[in-house]
Amino acid sequence: MNRGQKEAYKRDYAQAKKEGKPFFPYAVYKDLIVATLAIGFVIGLAVWQRIPIGEPVNPATTDFVPRPEWYFFFLFELLRIFKGQGALTPVIMATFIVPNVLLVLLLVTPFIDRGPERRIWRRPIALFSGIAVVFLLAYLTHLGSEAPAGTEEVQLENLDPQGQAGLDLFLANGCLACHTVAGVGAPGPGPGLTDEGERGRGIEYQIEHLRDPQSTTPGSSMPAFASLTDQELEDLAVFLEGLGTKYTAP
Amino acid sequence: MSSSDASGDGRTGTTAVGTTDIAPKKPGVKAGEATVDYVDERSGATTGLKWYLFRNIPAETSWFQTLGFTAMMLFGLQAITGIVLAMYYKPDPASAFQSIEVITNDVTWGWLVRSMHRWGSSAMIVVVFLHMARVFFFGAYKYPRELTWVTGALLLVLTMFMGLTGYLLVWDQKAYWATVVATNITASAPLVGPFVADILRAGPEFGPNTLSRFYSLHMLVIPLGIATFIAIHLYFISFLGIAEPPWSKRRFRAKREEQEAERERAARTPYGRREVPAVGPPAPEREPARAEDGS
Repeated sequence: MNRGQKEAYKRDYAQAKKEGKPFFPYAVYKDLIVATLAIGFVIGLAVWQRIPIGEPVNPATTDFVPRPEWYFFFLFELLRIFKGQGALTPVIMATFIVPNVLLVLLLVTPFIDRGPERRIWRRPIALFSGIAVVFLLAYLTHLGSEAPAGTEEVQLENLDPQGQAGLDLFLANGCLACHTVAGVGAPGPGPGLTDEGERGRGIEYQIEHLRDPQSTTPGSSMPAFASLTDQELEDLAVFLEGLGTKYTAP
Repeated sequence: MSSSDASGDGRTGTTAVGTTDIAPKKPGVKAGEATVDYVDERSGATTGLKWYLFRNIPAETSWFQTLGFTAMMLFGLQAITGIVLAMYYKPDPASAFQSIEVITNDVTWGWLVRSMHRWGSSAMIVVVFLHMARVFFFGAYKYPRELTWVTGALLLVLTMFMGLTGYLLVWDQKAYWATVVATNITASAPLVGPFVADILRAGPEFGPNTLSRFYSLHMLVIPLGIATFIAIHLYFISFLGIAEPPWSKRRFRAKREEQEAERERAARTPYGRREVPAVGPPAPEREPARAEDGS
């Protein structure tokens, strides 16, 4: 907006105010009606859908599904989209670059769009980008809300006793909440592990990674499984190293 | 109403109903008036409130323009239910979960307050987002309301942080592990990430102190931030006035009148000639175009 347009807007708004109505009661009554409805809606939901009590925290077991509140699902889904197979850059894309770019865009919107036009049908770029953002957020939230399938049977061939023990630990510690094995489990945020063994990282790497994921994969959002015993860690590591090589999907 | 006009300050109330009322005042009314006058003389509170309530706003406001007030009321609801919950909640890993059980099962209406607080957080996110969408599609963030938008965007971010920090306080498995992942994500950010994560976790490891830290953030730091930004946001709104919907009837009327005046001028000057004043300043309708060089 140039100075003339700013002056024109101020004149026009002054005229609107001059021909206007007092804030009280003409705006206040509308505000109060909608706010009362909203609060009534919250009370209604609270009575109709009571919030249940969850399971108490037990840092020793990681048998969990790490789900955020629904309004973080879109970020959660970004983690899945940019899941880097151990690489750092894609993870930072999802956790740092994309959210911060969105945040900065949100903050500077009025400094990007400075035209004098306010009617939305005369602002095609704003109309399109606004609708696109709403749909994208809704779509990502919907994708993120889909519960990962984790209770199915994992079908693997050639399982030896140690591999079986590893698989049992794998299932008991909720790994399928973030990883897929042989087509079972959530497709993210973690990488798929069906062919993990083919990467040839070695047992020691696997144990180290389980104990402290960030030490071998900087930027990983995986929780540490340090509460497992040495034997359990070894079983899990053997199982992971065998995936795709020894233990194959049928 | 009549009583406040009788105080002698006739600037705002010109109807002056009080002057015709000559009956002796009741002592209660008299004392009340005296108190209001005393406070107003020293603070301008009544004068300010009168200005705030009876200032003019554009005649045509949309129902969508009530969402900001609704968001503020939901924040108030969160504050009240949060205060009640804080009376029973124990921010200690050993007893946090148990205190949630007590609130839900034993405290009178405790389940309701807790459910309202949880649903209220979702409702607040929804309403704040809808409010933002309204401002966007109305073009209401444009001159002179750019800074109002910036404070509003920060309020949206703070509201989301409220959700993030409050989620952990129930101290159940789902919340615990989701927050472990969230702080790991924070730590993965370049440069400041590890430091911010250490501040959030109260150390390099996610542990018992993390709960106290999140409790403090959720109860003191972020609410204070939200209250501050609401105050600034409200100041901007009352200083600038609420935006008029861009499709108001008044604006269409003004446009039509302008066009009619233009046609009339054209009729007065046949053969498409424009009226040119013999001497003096340029025609007023050319004025906006003249200032185009000023950014």
